[in-house]
Amino acid sequence: MLQPPDVKLLPLLPVLLILAGAISSTLLGFWVQRRTLTFINIGAVLASAVSLGWLWNRDLSAFGGSLRADHAALLLGFVILAGTLMTLLVTLDTAWRARVAFPEFDAMLMYAVTGCLLIAFSGDLIVMLIGLEIMSLSSYVLATLQGSRRAEESGLKYFLLGAAGSAVLIYGLAFVYGATGSLNYAVIAEKTSTLNPDNVGILVGGALLMLCGFGFKVALAPFHQWTPDVYGGAPTSVSLFLSTVVKVAAFAGMLRVFSGALENAPGWHSVLAVLIAATLIVGNLAALRQLNFKRMLAYSAVAHTGFLGMALLGTPAAGGAALGYYLLVYTLMTAAALAIVAALQRSEEGFSITDMRGLYYRHPGYAVALAVCLASLAGLPPFAGFFGKYLVFQAAFQNGYAWISILAALTSVAALVYYLRPAMLMFMPDRTPAREYGLGQRAPTTLAVALGVAGVTVLGLLPNLWYAFVAHPDIWAMLAGR
Amino acid sequence: MNSFTDWLPTLMIFLPLLGSLLLLVTPKTFRDEVAGFIAALTLGAGLAIWRGGGSELFRWDWIPPLGITYSVQLGGVSLALALVTALMSFIAILYAARRIPNPGPMLSLILAMETGLIGIFAAQDLMLFYVFFEDALIPALLMLAMYGKSGRMAALTKFAAYTLFGSLLMLVSIIGVRYLGGSPSFAMTDLKQNLVTGSAQTWLYLGFLTAMAVKLPLWPMHAWLPDFHEQNHDSGVPDVMGTLYKVGGYGIFTFAIPLFPDASLELRPILMGLAAFTALYAAWIAFRQTDWKRLLAYAGLSHMGFVALGVFSLNETAVIGAMYLLAFQNLYTGALFLSVGMLQERIGSLDTRVGGVMTQAGALGGLTMALWFASIAVPGLAGFIGEFSILLGAYQVSPWLTFIAGITTIAAAAYALTAFQHTFWQARPAGSVTVRDLMHTEWLILGIPLAILVLFGVYSTPALNLMQPAVRAVLSALGGN
Repeated sequence: MLQPPDVKLLPLLPVLLILAGAISSTLLGFWVQRRTLTFINIGAVLASAVSLGWLWNRDLSAFGGSLRADHAALLLGFVILAGTLMTLLVTLDTAWRARVAFPEFDAMLMYAVTGCLLIAFSGDLIVMLIGLEIMSLSSYVLATLQGSRRAEESGLKYFLLGAAGSAVLIYGLAFVYGATGSLNYAVIAEKTSTLNPDNVGILVGGALLMLCGFGFKVALAPFHQWTPDVYGGAPTSVSLFLSTVVKVAAFAGMLRVFSGALENAPGWHSVLAVLIAATLIVGNLAALRQLNFKRMLAYSAVAHTGFLGMALLGTPAAGGAALGYYLLVYTLMTAAALAIVAALQRSEEGFSITDMRGLYYRHPGYAVALAVCLASLAGLPPFAGFFGKYLVFQAAFQNGYAWISILAALTSVAALVYYLRPAMLMFMPDRTPAREYGLGQRAPTTLAVALGVAGVTVLGLLPNLWYAFVAHPDIWAMLAGR
Repeated sequence: MNSFTDWLPTLMIFLPLLGSLLLLVTPKTFRDEVAGFIAALTLGAGLAIWRGGGSELFRWDWIPPLGITYSVQLGGVSLALALVTALMSFIAILYAARRIPNPGPMLSLILAMETGLIGIFAAQDLMLFYVFFEDALIPALLMLAMYGKSGRMAALTKFAAYTLFGSLLMLVSIIGVRYLGGSPSFAMTDLKQNLVTGSAQTWLYLGFLTAMAVKLPLWPMHAWLPDFHEQNHDSGVPDVMGTLYKVGGYGIFTFAIPLFPDASLELRPILMGLAAFTALYAAWIAFRQTDWKRLLAYAGLSHMGFVALGVFSLNETAVIGAMYLLAFQNLYTGALFLSVGMLQERIGSLDTRVGGVMTQAGALGGLTMALWFASIAVPGLAGFIGEFSILLGAYQVSPWLTFIAGITTIAAAAYALTAFQHTFWQARPAGSVTVRDLMHTEWLILGIPLAILVLFGVYSTPALNLMQPAVRAVLSALGGN
């Protein structure tokens, strides 16, 4: 009996809306200004966000469970869209200064977001892989698009290492398929608990190879080497996109694969713990020595991979909730901080930390906003970064990784020092001429910064506004689906 | 349930923060008045709570899925400390408005910090305590960054790194206390019924202790303190707030003793030893200082050694004495920092070897001397009651360590009076500028703390009545000692 394929486009709606934006940028670019296209894309992002809300509580799936619009997908999708919105707002002001103000930039950006959303919505390894590749290929282009030596270097490094990462990931994927005979998360999760002992070795090998591949994508040490060069060399608005949206999507993939499909698979937990420990140490200590603020934020992104990764060590219920909360907060604070860098930098290299002296007396609004973001990144209450840190500490601690919590606490001291230095320099009186771009303060960037700062503050005072959504343990118990 | 009095602690906590934000939009001409008014109102709210005999526990589920509650209560020791904080913040605002040109940001920061400090004392939930504990850090850092001297970057990095080092370990401990004890929430009422037992308790206590040792401060976690005071603004206003921020003794008393009773008893000899050593060591170093602010920093450290000795001894008399000293040392150490600020305004130096100030500024010298007497525990002033009770109580636990700490009182007289004599009495250098005596509000700024110190030095009953039940309640957790 031939069954008709399970084709439903409704659960795909948020992805399709973004794709529509991408296609319109590709085609309309011949007739319409790039700025108009950006507004169309902002509209697509908002419409996609609305459709996420509309799909809430429906728990739809399509293509025989390969694509799932469950709660986890919708929540992670929302985080991705929040980062995208802030990126688009920032590019409205800074794309022309970075010499990337042409329609292809917007098209590539929206294709990347399409891939990001696909990862979050994935129900099997192939859909996840397709999403990951769409995202990665678009990101390589985005990093190179500026056409300067720095951007080309950054893009090529990103491409070579990213391609190697993808290859390792696909190899691991094949192993997992070989061990379990399925690509579907739910089936893999079911098979891993009742596995033929002969296949355990293959499964562990596959899981570790996938961990390695994802390690490239989220910048876990020792696979993080590309990060500072790529984030530092790409135009700042692209760095913003890469360090928020792309990283969130990669974490969404890890959450689906490791906390969902491979939750009961042996072996990968302890390896991940070691990688996270290395990331925490390397990221935080290297950031301590940076002189350029943008590069420091790149290392801080590596360090945050360590903090975010701690959530994967927790049980899916505690860890998923922690990651869901922390990813949104991380997106808001990192995007707002980089938005300010993008607005105030003289060149795409960013500015050196010493140049930030006295910023409060020249751009009081941006300086206070940046200080709030840095305090939040450092994990100081009452800003939301603190609760994010607390949640991941707790998730790791409760699942028997107390030593990682203590290590994270100690490395957080180093983190505080490197966030504190620029934050405090901004408030020190200074009589030398300004060394930042004086006309950077524009409405769209200010809106993005305001979104980030308001989000970080409100979510710090009333974390439950977002945490209540992500806290429900059922959401994360069904990461793999049924 | 009287609705208004239940809200009073919350009002007292957040009123200063509200004022701090209000100051940002207040026109320059009214800033001083608005700040002073808000600070006075906060103090008034505190006095109203005192008049009502302390507040009930107010509990609201802040983040229900995480078991974090907003539980606040001001009564007993916490009320006394909150009152002192409100009073000294008010006095700091009076002096900042007078002394600092364009004081807007400073006034805002003082008020913002006051919120954090009163919150620390009011919190009855461990996570809430942590949040306020860190909140107070940000304004302290900003004061140093905006008004500090040339070496401030190193000083503030040191200060922040020490603080966070301790408090992040405390955060891990806090997570452990709830998780290993199985309590439904972080509220103290729940945690006390779900204590962690065995060796885990000792480890968690050590994590908690690290944070409190930084904030006491206790040797060897004290190194941030002298730099912090030395690099802060000359007026001494941030130093007043910094002194109020030394909440380690209170944290151990309110949270650590009830939550880690066995560990407190187990580690008692070591910790008392550290405390006694801190007291003596700091007094010794203070003797060698030639900068008034560093001298005061070490003097404060020495007093904190006493407070720690009292708290760690777990003896009722000593703990009451420690809390008494902790509350009132804020008055005299704070006022002394301000008097040093006044001295600096007049002679342009913080050096202790100026000489002859007394001949022209008799009132400044006289009030400063009286405050020093309070500091070195001369009977009749509030400092004496605290130190004497600590020694009396701690002697019953460990006579030898108490003897060592007791030597400190002599050393204190030595360092304080020597420095005072050099600055105020010795011959005036030829050709030095004329020194103005106290003017206008300066009288109030030094006079009010002194008057209160005399009052509670002679008539200590109201303060003791306030503290004693709270101390008994906490020590009862130890099973009658």
